[in-house]
Amino acid sequence: MQKKECIAMLLAGGQGSRLGVLTRNNAKPAVSFGGKYRIIDFSLSNCVNSGIDTVGVLIQYRPLVLNHYLGTGEAWDLDSSDGGVHVLPPYATETGGQWYAGTADAIYHNIDFVDSYNPEYVLILSGDHLYKMNYNLMLAEHKAKGADLTVSVIEVPWEEASRFGIMTVDEDERIVKFSEKPKEPDSNLASMGIYIFSWPVLRRALLEDHMDPTSDKDFGKNIIPRLLAADMKLYAYRFSGYWKDVGTIESYYNAQMDLMREDAEFNIFESEMRIFSNSNIYPPHYVGEKAVVSGSLICNGCTIDGEVRGSILGSGVVVEEGAVVEDSILLPHTKISRGCHIVRTIVNENVRIVAGSEIRDPNGEISVIGENSQFAEV
Amino acid sequence: MKTTIGLISANYTNEKFGTLAAKRTLASLPYGGRYRLIDFPLSNMINSGISTVGLITPYNYRSLMDHVGVGKAWSLGRKVGGMFILPGSVYGVRSSASKFLQRDIIQNRRYIDRDTADYVLFCGSNKVFNMDFRPLIEQHERNAYPITLAYKKVEHGENCDGFFLNVDDSGKVAGIRYNAEGEANYFLDCFVIDREFLISFINWFDALSYMDVMEIVMDSLNDIGVDAYEFQGYVGAVNNLDDYMRVNMDLLNPEIRTELFNSERKIFTKVQDEPPVLYRPTANVKNSIISAGCIVEGEVENSIIFRSSHIKPGAVVKNCIIMQHGMICEDAYAANMICDKYVTIGRGARVEGGADHPFVIGKNQEL
Repeated sequence: MQKKECIAMLLAGGQGSRLGVLTRNNAKPAVSFGGKYRIIDFSLSNCVNSGIDTVGVLIQYRPLVLNHYLGTGEAWDLDSSDGGVHVLPPYATETGGQWYAGTADAIYHNIDFVDSYNPEYVLILSGDHLYKMNYNLMLAEHKAKGADLTVSVIEVPWEEASRFGIMTVDEDERIVKFSEKPKEPDSNLASMGIYIFSWPVLRRALLEDHMDPTSDKDFGKNIIPRLLAADMKLYAYRFSGYWKDVGTIESYYNAQMDLMREDAEFNIFESEMRIFSNSNIYPPHYVGEKAVVSGSLICNGCTIDGEVRGSILGSGVVVEEGAVVEDSILLPHTKISRGCHIVRTIVNENVRIVAGSEIRDPNGEISVIGENSQFAEV
Repeated sequence: MKTTIGLISANYTNEKFGTLAAKRTLASLPYGGRYRLIDFPLSNMINSGISTVGLITPYNYRSLMDHVGVGKAWSLGRKVGGMFILPGSVYGVRSSASKFLQRDIIQNRRYIDRDTADYVLFCGSNKVFNMDFRPLIEQHERNAYPITLAYKKVEHGENCDGFFLNVDDSGKVAGIRYNAEGEANYFLDCFVIDREFLISFINWFDALSYMDVMEIVMDSLNDIGVDAYEFQGYVGAVNNLDDYMRVNMDLLNPEIRTELFNSERKIFTKVQDEPPVLYRPTANVKNSIISAGCIVEGEVENSIIFRSSHIKPGAVVKNCIIMQHGMICEDAYAANMICDKYVTIGRGARVEGGADHPFVIGKNQEL
């Protein structure tokens, strides 16, 4: 295979249990986002927009939708004969087989894959954040510094720093300390979970870590501390754009609502750094004679005869006459029947809400409706 | 099982569309917010299990090729079969009546000679319908005539451009004519022909290459025996500007929309990865079709808005077709208009076409 300077490895095997019913039957990277996207689109689009044309996608948890969605990678122009998307599930060998035990273990089991491209550098991505980033700029710094590992970091408010993995750096941005969720942080540079490793360094670290029975085989917990202890050259790369976690119901909801703001920092309409997605073929949406639609994002394939305000409707959603949807996120192919009134609610894909349902949390919390909900048609 | 290959003619246009078709073949007329007319025959073919499709292109084929590419969007990028681009003759695009020029077929006869399929399904590209061709092919096989023409019963033949069939009691075609009054059997520019028969047909009439296949069929009706197949679904024939407006507006009818798009047989088109439509709080939209990538801040009623258009605050759009990248600025008013791609209607401008005769603004214009 042709040698690649840098390939990406996208960790897409996690369950994302904090998203509750949304990930009961679906891996987090394949959860619908912003109407027509799925969470993995943002990382894949960043790769393509950064000129990285080879991406290994490590899968494990409920991969059906994810696999189907990735397909040949064509939707992201990643269907090239020389590179492209490679789906990498756990596999069996003559001595048995096992699941990926941690993020580092997933890469360890695919050392052969990475070797086949003989890259100088490997970009590790976690794919559960909303951001636009040109990884090339980060790679350029990694090279300029002669680093072994470059960690992308973002300044977070000091009072929130103890929620993140915090990097402490010297005046040359060299990382001198890494602390996972420190109680008393001495830095506010949070790791974004985006790493560029020089492959020989990572390869050696993975082999060593694999031999350590006490290791959790995790990048944050094991690999980075191991490299720090060995006095390798770890540098921080400061990123200053928009970067939002979408891994909890609240952050998932808020990040989507942000897309509709007048001053949206994450702009899905700009033509630079476009977001690609594997959207199915739907006709444009229809807004009926009696419908009201305002302050909302609406996808192709929707039919709206009711009232929709401040909401996001995924592909193929139906809102019947007399139904009212406010500040809600309706995932693809949901149906809100006559007489429903739903407020601040996320409805999972393919769920049809029983006519006349009133869904609104009395405390103003976000309601999440899955197929097992009392409001869902069976 | 009998096999069928497809042949779509996109090598024709006419002068009844104003500037809309001045540089386009009818096949590449934008339609319904995100489609082009060619999407219908292409999708019908693939949805009917026909995966070898020849596309006779017009001389001026840039916009068509930009859209169809190698046929990937219709799953026609294949190792076996797939899409064949068949360059049409230079004169085709000037002719208004001819859809299946004998010379276009002769020029590309290797496509027909080389294949081993039993039948060739011909289809034009200016009629909107979602048809399963399989029952048509089954009837063709069952009745064993060399040609079967598909038609739709219409109430007012005088409003339709094209050929009409006289169908006798046995269901056979007894005559073909250009004009009809009242109830009539409107030919859908769609027919099945035995491939071997087609080859001999081309050979017999080699000298008459300037003729249309339909004219030859018309003249030889009694000698060859032609069957007729009735299609009962929706047909939107797009032969002139008024048709174009009406057939687009037909999509506001839920039954027609459902038949065309919510069938198991999807209508495929080139995907452009536009974001969802953003409605600002000032948006007010009624009875309209809005396509991905638009930003709506003003008022839209009874209209079809194509991809990536922007309706600014205070703008009013009524009974309009606004094609891709249209921009209707603040407090502008547009009614009964067809705006070609990249048209800007400036701040406070007022444009209005006739209720029955839409007014067309050509590509890239600013008012």
